[in-house]
Amino acid sequence: MKPPVFEYHRPDSLNEALALLGAHPDAKPLAGGQSLIPAMNFRLAAPGRLVDLNALDELAGIEETVEGGLRIGAMTRHRAVELSAAVAARAPLLAAAMPFIAHRQIRNRGTIGGSLAHADPAAELPAVVVALEAQLVLASSRGERMVPAAEFFTGLFATALEDGELITAIEIPAPPPRSGSAFLELARRHGDYALVGVTAVVILDSERRVTDARIVLFSVGEGPVRAARAEAALAGTTGDAAAREAAADAVQGDIDPSADIHASSAYRRQLASVLTRRALAAALGRAVDAAR
Amino acid sequence: MIVEGSHFFPGPRDAVWTLLLDPDVLAKTMPGTASIARVADDRYEGTMAMGIGPITAAVFDVVITITDQAAPEHYTMQIEGRGKFGFTRGKAAVTLASEGTGTSMRYQADLVVGGKIAAVGQRLLDSVSKMMLRQGLDAMTRELEHRLAGGAA
Repeated sequence: MKPPVFEYHRPDSLNEALALLGAHPDAKPLAGGQSLIPAMNFRLAAPGRLVDLNALDELAGIEETVEGGLRIGAMTRHRAVELSAAVAARAPLLAAAMPFIAHRQIRNRGTIGGSLAHADPAAELPAVVVALEAQLVLASSRGERMVPAAEFFTGLFATALEDGELITAIEIPAPPPRSGSAFLELARRHGDYALVGVTAVVILDSERRVTDARIVLFSVGEGPVRAARAEAALAGTTGDAAAREAAADAVQGDIDPSADIHASSAYRRQLASVLTRRALAAALGRAVDAAR
Repeated sequence: MIVEGSHFFPGPRDAVWTLLLDPDVLAKTMPGTASIARVADDRYEGTMAMGIGPITAAVFDVVITITDQAAPEHYTMQIEGRGKFGFTRGKAAVTLASEGTGTSMRYQADLVVGGKIAAVGQRLLDSVSKMMLRQGLDAMTRELEHRLAGGAA
């Protein structure tokens, strides 16, 4: 199918793009187009105009910050993030998640900013940036602001983005000392939407007790879901098998998954426990290695 | 698709009953409802738009017929929606019980959704209906509180 008629702009600078988005309330930014274009072709979305961001080289690229973290431009393709040595070293959780995002052809084109702005409840990246406590840099013709990832996702396909506002970059802090992370998801086939996914970051103190655990699930709610009960079950423990089991049980109280033709709500709940237990074992193992 | 659950309204059962069947309240509180009118005692007609993420254009003509009405305790709605992007039909049973000074509502809906919207958005139907229902019930609760506080309808 073909999309309805729309106006097309291809600005050469961020300022020009922001001016266009500010001036036209019916405009939609076009990043990699891996969700927007199919929706338009199905005629489920009918924006009056597109502002194509693909000429904005200033929004693409991965920088290592002096603080030991990363700044990733919003128009950086998934595949570039997946292949980056800097990402593997400084944000191993993000590197681990990348191969699970759709298929390679889609990752060649899709962008990190586009995926975050789309905020699909089954998407990997929203959960990853929340678990990493990343900051999103947002810009509009009115100026720039930083929003913590945890505050960015406000509901089903809903974000803190205001009219005329774009994500320009994602800032990921340096991995804390004595920390480890893990990413796990289960899908029927590789590249399908995950039935359930789990991201975990565990930070140990000098006694090797868990000082901070961040467990964020996806595909079990309206967006990334932070598992506060599971985190509390792990905090202050050594992360032994009993504590991991307690956290895996507690996670069922943190989520209210929907049912679809692929999996019932009860199945997703059970799967969330299993994946949480495995993710915590892997993350804790890495944190202990890092503490050596 | 089965959607069921309960909701607590902080007001007497008669007031909740009136609220739930008032077309102006429905138009104001149900997300995406552009218009809804009572065309007969037991029949409502209106249009609803679903605006979820990239889907901004799905407009449905909706007909609701109330059957099995026993004020102020329970009623059943026969729901039919039809639009360019698909259809929905089914029924929803609503039961109200006094609970202290408030009213507890139980609902159970059995809906079939078909057409393009179901083909493209199947994995999201459950989440979307839960979200729209929650937003609608929260807005109705605010409306009830507003009315009980003496505000105009």
